[in-house]
Amino acid sequence: MSERDVTQKILAALADYLKRDRATIRLDHHLRHDLGLDSMAVIELLYKIEEAFDIQIPDQDLVGLSTVASVASYVEQRLSPGKRSTSGKRDRPVKGKKK
Amino acid sequence: MKLTAATASGKKRHQNARGIHAMGGQIVVTGLGVISPIGIGVSEFWKAALDGRSGVSAIAGFDPFPMDGYRSKVAAQIHGFSPERYLDNVQAERVDRYAQFALVAAKEALADSGLQLANENARRVGVIVGAGMGGMVMGEREITQLYQSLRPHRVHPNFIPVITLNSASGIVAMAHGAKGPNYTISTACSSSAHALGQAMQCIREGRADVVITVGADASITPLVFAGFCSLRALSTKYNEQPERASRPFDRLRDGFVMGEGAGALVLESSAHAKKRKARIYAEVAGYAATSEAYHMVIPREDGEEIAATMRLAMADAGITPGQIDYINAHATSTSIGDAVETKAIRQVFRSRAEKIAISATKSLVGHTLGAAGAIGGIATVLAIHTGQIHPTANYEDPDPACALRGITASVQERKVRAALLNAFGFGSNNAAVVIKRYVA
Repeated sequence: MSERDVTQKILAALADYLKRDRATIRLDHHLRHDLGLDSMAVIELLYKIEEAFDIQIPDQDLVGLSTVASVASYVEQRLSPGKRSTSGKRDRPVKGKKK
Repeated sequence: MKLTAATASGKKRHQNARGIHAMGGQIVVTGLGVISPIGIGVSEFWKAALDGRSGVSAIAGFDPFPMDGYRSKVAAQIHGFSPERYLDNVQAERVDRYAQFALVAAKEALADSGLQLANENARRVGVIVGAGMGGMVMGEREITQLYQSLRPHRVHPNFIPVITLNSASGIVAMAHGAKGPNYTISTACSSSAHALGQAMQCIREGRADVVITVGADASITPLVFAGFCSLRALSTKYNEQPERASRPFDRLRDGFVMGEGAGALVLESSAHAKKRKARIYAEVAGYAATSEAYHMVIPREDGEEIAATMRLAMADAGITPGQIDYINAHATSTSIGDAVETKAIRQVFRSRAEKIAISATKSLVGHTLGAAGAIGGIATVLAIHTGQIHPTANYEDPDPACALRGITASVQERKVRAALLNAFGFGSNNAAVVIKRYVA
């Protein structure tokens, strides 16, 4: 899957989740500040992305996923053989968000 | 549940509370019972708690699910529990694990209280249970079997009674013949703190002399555990060092650890307790229930709602922040939750925040969900009764966002006049209970 395909698929997932026109979502949009996703919404979005790309995103990798572009880049990295995820490992920590 | 209006002034609430107070007098704790990952029975629990022992271990597995599929692989489980060892009631075999825990804890608490139910007016003895998840062991099994077998007629006849969320309050009443008010409160992680508050109100309003108050949950099951993993609420960093995983207020905390268990407290009016010459551990003096009306799982980051809840509870008890010597914190070991609670404590107590002893029972027993308020309540009662405050395990590197001098990894010896028990739950709800030294 090309980087462009990955980005398009993520934009589609975001548009579907946010119930808004895909054309209004930009790569430099910040998930929280521009698109209004709180930490729970980000987790729900990543849940959709995990399904769409058949990957598992370890908790520790959430920290770097702040913009649409960073999510696209992360997924593309995960899908490309030979490249490593931002953490390179699966069992590192994440900032807990829940009560 | 009837919510306390967050807008009510402390003065007005205090007057209201005192007005009602006259009906049931003081409400006291006369019996304790617990089943926890660090001990079955109050004596074993408290010894382990004072040792700061962690009850967290690696999950052996959810047969037939491999643990590889779970992000978190640790929990505070009660290993080798055999209900028949503790319970002789045949009905115990027909309820789920959480209700069996409730039965074990209630039985111990009643024995500890010295109450002879046969000598009581049964209609004046109530049971209030807090449970977050309920009968998930059988629930998951039956749902799985139905969907796999497609044979609806093979769903177990006891499925509905078992998963109905008040099965524990029902079975505890049946086991002891308690015919007074009987209900279950389900507010997720704060369920049994609300149960304690509601039990206090029930007696205060004169509707019962005694309320057997229980918190219970046992849902470390394949589906529920997976759900908390998906919510990314659980610790995943310490899968190889389970005993280090639950670390409230510590800089390296990374989520809560699921626990299971039950706590039971016998609450009764002081007049009733004195009449039968009961030993009194402490007084349950105040309670507040609020909603943040904000988010299903995220607390408001400014801490103001939690602060308001603590203030309302103190006003209900008729005490001031200057009288609080100990806080049994909700402190689940999540990044934001512990920081927000600390922020709220600083708001309410200002400079005194550094002088109050604070401990997190979840550092020892994990997050027992619906049981957490009751088990924390027992730790609070014992702190008042014994003058010892259990350590917060794994508090090694204080997070600046949570650093208060009263949080320690060792036992604190202290005379506690009054204490706050905090509990917050999904669904944006908060509870605070004031427990204090009993003075006739």
